[in-house]
Amino acid sequence: MAKILVVADIKQGELKSSTAELLSKARAIGAETAVVAVGSNMSSLTPDLVNAGSDTQYMADDPGLELFSAGPFASCVVDAAKQFNANLIWFGFSESGKAAAPRVAAQLEAACATEITDVVIDGEQIEIVRPAIANKVMQRVKVNTGQLVAVVRAGAFEAADGVTGTENIVTLSPPPSDLKAVIKELVSDASGEIDLADADIVISIGRGAKDQAGVDLVKELANDLNAGFGSSRAMVDGGFMAHNKQVGQTGKIVAPSLYMAIGISGAIQHLAGMNGSKVILAVNKDPEAPIFNVADYGIVGDLFEVVPILREEIKKVRS
Amino acid sequence: MKILTTVKKVVDVELTIRIADGAIVEDGLQYVINAWDENAVEASVQLKENNGAETTLVSIGGGDNTDIIRKCYAMGIENGIHIEDPALEKADSSIYAKVLQKVYEKGDYDLVITGKQAQDTDSGQTGIMLAEYLGLPCVSNVIAIEVIDEQHVKVSRLGDAGTERVELELPAVVTVSDSINEPRLPAMRGVMMAKKKKIEVMDLAALGTSPEEVGGGAPKSEVVEFMASKTRQSGQKFEGNAADITTRVVDLLVNEAKVL
Repeated sequence: MAKILVVADIKQGELKSSTAELLSKARAIGAETAVVAVGSNMSSLTPDLVNAGSDTQYMADDPGLELFSAGPFASCVVDAAKQFNANLIWFGFSESGKAAAPRVAAQLEAACATEITDVVIDGEQIEIVRPAIANKVMQRVKVNTGQLVAVVRAGAFEAADGVTGTENIVTLSPPPSDLKAVIKELVSDASGEIDLADADIVISIGRGAKDQAGVDLVKELANDLNAGFGSSRAMVDGGFMAHNKQVGQTGKIVAPSLYMAIGISGAIQHLAGMNGSKVILAVNKDPEAPIFNVADYGIVGDLFEVVPILREEIKKVRS
Repeated sequence: MKILTTVKKVVDVELTIRIADGAIVEDGLQYVINAWDENAVEASVQLKENNGAETTLVSIGGGDNTDIIRKCYAMGIENGIHIEDPALEKADSSIYAKVLQKVYEKGDYDLVITGKQAQDTDSGQTGIMLAEYLGLPCVSNVIAIEVIDEQHVKVSRLGDAGTERVELELPAVVTVSDSINEPRLPAMRGVMMAKKKKIEVMDLAALGTSPEEVGGGAPKSEVVEFMASKTRQSGQKFEGNAADITTRVVDLLVNEAKVL
């Protein structure tokens, strides 16, 4: 039986949905499951880790692990992977996962794959599926070692209902800190903002929003809908939106139920970050904009005219 | 400071990619420098200009890489190494990293700068694995590099919780995001000078290693099939009176798509 170790995705003290999604998939495959949690002050997270579907919980809980540092983070995962004798080590889609997975693979001499969307285990043989070339193709990849470290693409697996695990806590000893890469400061993202990766609705703006007035206008719509508020690269480069708001291949990859692309033309790098969304609405002045090729619903029009109407109409149907 | 930058020649992602019989159809493809590596080159050249560094690039595989290496020369890179060996045809990230390890060990570098991923595989592993094999500190997804002194740089990285500022002891490896800079367009004079510059071409033996040592014959993973992506179909597009079509679309989002 395969043994799958899922790396808990913890952000600002909360367990993210990807952990339950990955564990659900692991259980559906019929694998033995464990989770490894790395951080500080995590005792209150134990019930969440169990309920997410893990049967063993490796805990690396230490004040020195409060701020992310890829070296010590990877050491904890390697420690848990060895103790659990894991065949598969899965990270949820996150910057920490992308930074740590290649280190873990190098240390274990395991194969490594990022952004996987599916996995097939046939006896000893592991195969995965993943996109490549800016999502233009899919690759089927054969793993030639018995062990695979993978980062799972956002939205690839779904959390199943009624899944739970059993509590079996194993305490890991804290790793030495990385003295050659010292984190001096964390400039936190604004608190209270909705995490793009978790939001059920994401609304992003592009060049069509032009300036701060355009940003503010669309932000109001996002506030109404309790939606994540994202951006194309153009508005980040223009200084109107923060780097961490960029949706696209190089920024956040999102897969919400509804994605609204407002004033975004649809460069392939942007499409690669959002084309896993369930439903896409595009608003753009240019009827030939590439975004309409992927949109389920398209409104050809000036966003400054359309967005206020959108707000009013949505308010009406929601009241 | 001696800087090593890696550049990969990759398929141009802007063009249509066709698949037949589980493989990419070569006909009609064009190959370009990996965009993230272009950011790495720009970052290296800026460090050279602002802090005085010696810049070297290395490119692995890709056949005739003269064009992309000359482009980097024209941007301001001083030395170029091209590693070409039939044993690297099926190389995975780990093998690339082991070859880079050999290049690094020959050169006594202080800083390695790579793009955070290559556009053909979108894997994002090689630079990080290189650091791991070398036992060097590494920060990925970097958006700023600042030299503190001969032994230290401070980098900013886009992490999950915000921007992380990390002080790195050199030698070190960083992988850069495209947010770090806007690569320059080479000036005509640079382009002319680049044509005269030498490119050092080596196979694995010349590099002082062998296919076995870098794992060339036994990739840890290999692509067995390419498939077309599930392409989204374009749906319903509405033009006309803004109020009418917006009202109609909201109705569809509520009653047809059921997402509002």
